[in-house]
Amino acid sequence: MKAQIVSALKRRRHGPVLTASKLLLASYILVAIAAPLIAPQNPYDPLQIYGWEASSPPGTRGSGGYLYLLGTDGLGRDIVSTILYGLRISLVVSIVSSALAALIGLTAGVSAAYFGKWVDIAIMRLVDLQLSLPTILIALIAIVTLGPGIDRIILALIIAQWATYARIARGVALSEANKPYMDAARLMRLPTSRIIFRHLLPNSIAPAVTLIPIEVGHAVALEATLSFLGLGVPIDKPSLGSAVANGFQYLLTGQYWISLFPGLALFGLIASINLVGEDVRRSLDPRNHSL
Amino acid sequence: MTVEHVTAPLLRVQNLGLRHVSGSATTPILSDVSFELGRGEILGIIGESGAGKSTVGNAILGLLSPEFQQTSGTIEFNGKAIDGMTADERQTLRGRRISAIFQDHTASLDPLMSVGAQVEETCLTLDSSLSKREARARAIDLLARVGIPEPERRYRNYPHQFSGGQRQRVVIAIALAGSPDIIIADEPTSALDATVQKQVLELLKILVDETGVSIILVTHDMGVISEITNRVLVMRKGQVVEADRTATILDQPRHDYTKKLLAAVPRLRIPTRTVKAEDDGGQAGSSAIDGDQNPLLVAEGLSKQFAPQGFAWGIGRGKPRFGLRDVGIRLPRGSITGIVGESGSGKTTFGRILAGLDTAPTGRITIGEHAFNVSRSGRRSGLLGRVQMIFQDPSVSLNPRMTIGETLDESIRFGGRTGSSKEPADLAAMMDRLGLPRSLLARHPHQLSGGQKQRVCIARALLARPEIIVADEPTSALDVSVQAEIVGLLKDTIAERAMTMVFISHDLAIVQAMCSSVFIFKDGRIEDFGPTEFIFSRSDNPYTRALINARPQRFTC
Repeated sequence: MKAQIVSALKRRRHGPVLTASKLLLASYILVAIAAPLIAPQNPYDPLQIYGWEASSPPGTRGSGGYLYLLGTDGLGRDIVSTILYGLRISLVVSIVSSALAALIGLTAGVSAAYFGKWVDIAIMRLVDLQLSLPTILIALIAIVTLGPGIDRIILALIIAQWATYARIARGVALSEANKPYMDAARLMRLPTSRIIFRHLLPNSIAPAVTLIPIEVGHAVALEATLSFLGLGVPIDKPSLGSAVANGFQYLLTGQYWISLFPGLALFGLIASINLVGEDVRRSLDPRNHSL
Repeated sequence: MTVEHVTAPLLRVQNLGLRHVSGSATTPILSDVSFELGRGEILGIIGESGAGKSTVGNAILGLLSPEFQQTSGTIEFNGKAIDGMTADERQTLRGRRISAIFQDHTASLDPLMSVGAQVEETCLTLDSSLSKREARARAIDLLARVGIPEPERRYRNYPHQFSGGQRQRVVIAIALAGSPDIIIADEPTSALDATVQKQVLELLKILVDETGVSIILVTHDMGVISEITNRVLVMRKGQVVEADRTATILDQPRHDYTKKLLAAVPRLRIPTRTVKAEDDGGQAGSSAIDGDQNPLLVAEGLSKQFAPQGFAWGIGRGKPRFGLRDVGIRLPRGSITGIVGESGSGKTTFGRILAGLDTAPTGRITIGEHAFNVSRSGRRSGLLGRVQMIFQDPSVSLNPRMTIGETLDESIRFGGRTGSSKEPADLAAMMDRLGLPRSLLARHPHQLSGGQKQRVCIARALLARPEIIVADEPTSALDVSVQAEIVGLLKDTIAERAMTMVFISHDLAIVQAMCSSVFIFKDGRIEDFGPTEFIFSRSDNPYTRALINARPQRFTC
């Protein structure tokens, strides 16, 4: 698997858009990691924020000696810093939730295929139920039930996303479970956990794993939507989505910068993740090359 | 029978060389292949997988993918070079002058179109002057010619309503639709049962005599070659190692590789019929019990039905099909028992029930003193693990994500908990015994050859120290030359350990070489059984005799 991913990354497809999105995504990740070092302000620290400088237009020089390059929001927070710190939250939430959703979904799908009968029925009807509702609705219901907080939003996104992985993994595992090597494993009377995790799971996950990069993009968008609706991250720790929401009420009064710049940042992030994710998915897809 | 080509041959391939280019890597596929094909001649091309025999056929048809590059030589049809033609020009030849039959009759036909419409469509495409009615008449005529009974009625049937042999006949009818000069038949009978294979080969021969078509028959099976071909091309690693008349190749092979191929064909010995001895066992019946006093395994009254799939609530569901009907068997300790039957005879189902992988609603299995309830899952009843299996296709019998070492280690650690043998399994000794180099332990299955993989599967089964091994067609997916080695190895290692084995096969000759007694399965029942000697020499069962007679005459003695 590891060798496959490495070789998939090595086979680079060239094209200006793809190269640009790779560069963009790389710089997003870089500035998100380095945010505390490069941001002019810590937007989460009330002591660094000057309320009387709220809604300053881009280019204003503040009393703290900062240059508000993209202006400040309604509470006086520097938009550049809000974007940098918001990026951290958006990326962490989406990557962690996608990885955990994949882990849980794959295990559930493979277990459903292996055990069959009522385990299969229970898991797959739940999957059907979830997939019959829009993802955003599931996430909304989950977050309303769970309450606010970064850990809660991760949980809500996992709940919203695991079902897709489960359905794909189950389909593959069903055909793998009938192969003779699985019969051989049964004949050894291996412990069930060993049959699932050593034999069935590693051979069933490839198609579902290729979904992860795309799902990270979905997760960013989902998180932003929830935060925009005010249901996601706490108000004092804005993610990109809540940063957009913060400026929404000021749009009509001409203070466009509060929403516009975080919105552009969000747009660039989702676009670059989707383009790069699609590329990674294609190179991982076993149908596109023989092993 | 052989047509001497006084005039120019119909097809002439000269010094054909091909290579495969993928990225920066180029692999030579064919080098210096030359042969001629006369009118009304059947030319066989034989070789093992990877010998390039199918590539020759595809090159003549112009069906090679662009990664194949011709490096040398010419292909001439009727004195005209066809290898340099454009795709459009090749298309006018295909079907009309040169057509093809492929191995997989299921994939060759459109499942959503009646067979008649498929034949008719081909007739219309190839001859646009035909009216719809004429095309239909022609299609019916073709179906009749390939031996489809009641062609007018069967015309409207769909491929799934035909048997495998009939489907291949339909494919042959489509190949004949354009009255071609040459038919390239790539393993046309490899997916068919022995008795059906013989009928299809006979049909091809009749068609050659009636229509004067020439056939290039690509196969890995010496038996097929010996049945109908006039001349043979023996290919190995992209080269023709020997080419001659079939009789000469079979009687006086010159090249070592040809000799090896011939020697590898399992031969059926039919002892001359002596005066029928007094009833020494062996009679048709639903339940068959050997006279052995102390059998290791006794299976009694195993029955199983398969409910056909349909829509919900049984709508559109046909009659249940019997997988097994009241099958009983006794395995004497330390013996090899053969189970022979054609596809669908229930032999594999029976093997899987013995191993505890499948259940049967009725019946009982006793191993030693212990009785097992076969209606419960093997894990519950404790049957699972007493019996190990060796499967048909070694390429899917090993976990592709585990190294050989991990696979065998698992067998040592987890297998053998229920076995009778107390001595610890010795991996190194087992590897040596099976001729597997130790360096393989760190490799993954895809890095091994088919024969090596099957040896690993044998090692895995033996290292688990079971009481009984069920081998389900263990050589069918292997090349002929490897088959003989695996059969020999299996027989010797089983004998050394005094183990008990059930050997499932469709090949009578291998069963004869391996087994002390034979059970012949047909439609889920035991049709005939007895000591091997008896079955092959004196059994009067008509089905047994038909199976024996379906073997190529050349390889029985």
